[in-house]
Amino acid sequence: MLVLELFKYIQTSELSRFVGGQNHLFGAVFQLIHIVGLILILSPVTLVSLRLVGLGSLREQSLVDIAQSTAKFIWIGLGLLVFSGIFIFIPAATNYYPNFAFWAKFLFLAIALVVHVTLYKKLTSIESPDLLVARFTAVLVMFLWLAVAFSARFIGFV
Amino acid sequence: MTLIEFADLLYDSELGTSLRESIYAYPIVEGIHLIGLAFSVGLLFFVDLRLLGVFLPKTSVSALFQPLRPLILGSFAVTMVTGVLLFVASAPKIITLDVFFYKLIFIALAGVNALLFELKWGKRIEEWEFEKLLPKGVQYAGGISLFLWSLVLISGRLIPYLNYK
Repeated sequence: MLVLELFKYIQTSELSRFVGGQNHLFGAVFQLIHIVGLILILSPVTLVSLRLVGLGSLREQSLVDIAQSTAKFIWIGLGLLVFSGIFIFIPAATNYYPNFAFWAKFLFLAIALVVHVTLYKKLTSIESPDLLVARFTAVLVMFLWLAVAFSARFIGFV
Repeated sequence: MTLIEFADLLYDSELGTSLRESIYAYPIVEGIHLIGLAFSVGLLFFVDLRLLGVFLPKTSVSALFQPLRPLILGSFAVTMVTGVLLFVASAPKIITLDVFFYKLIFIALAGVNALLFELKWGKRIEEWEFEKLLPKGVQYAGGISLFLWSLVLISGRLIPYLNYK
């Protein structure tokens, strides 16, 4: 139960107790930053996926341009998610330990990030990738990021 | 019927009760609400940034917006429907929150902004969309939309927090 010990240690730290002791609106601010971060990731991924699928006149736009100009949003979003996520997590770390949605979320996140820095990155650096591979990648990344969002939303309910 | 009576009616309705009492229905509806948001407000976000001239400046506005329009509108409808369901499930609590009414006002204002944009600029898009610097009015519309939808997001996310006071 090494992980549980770690979570207990995190939760009893001074910072965690300070965050936990604040007004509930203090927590709401981190939730807000968290959702902004999520939208900053989901929107670019959606836009690039639609381009990969070849939707309408988006097909005529440069894939590399779209991917490059949206990339910074994804990383800013991820930064905001990590930052706010830490503050949401630490005051109640042990509550998350038995929560299956919590673990599912990080599993999907890990896979999504691996796919992002490999397949997604490689594919969006070429102007006209193979349509079948492009569509497969679009569906895969959409599925993974939506699974992250969906399982995250479930954390509060299970 | 007062607003409070109406809210109680929704709350006690079969739909309201079953949404509240089901273990999965409520989080699933909330999840769909969130995903609908990412597709509607999320994609609109890029259109607004394009109108401001900071995103894909070499791509014309209609080339970006036209293929996205059905998706934005469709997922906006999904967000609306799931939003109504979430409201029905806890209407009496929600109508006591100022922030809920602010949210509705921001949505209405964003709608007015979009409508005015459509009437004033959208109809003659081919006259200005290839200009290097888009007309000031177009830029304002994009900025206002970005600002209002951010307020909608913020006030929406605050609803459950102010609910548990």
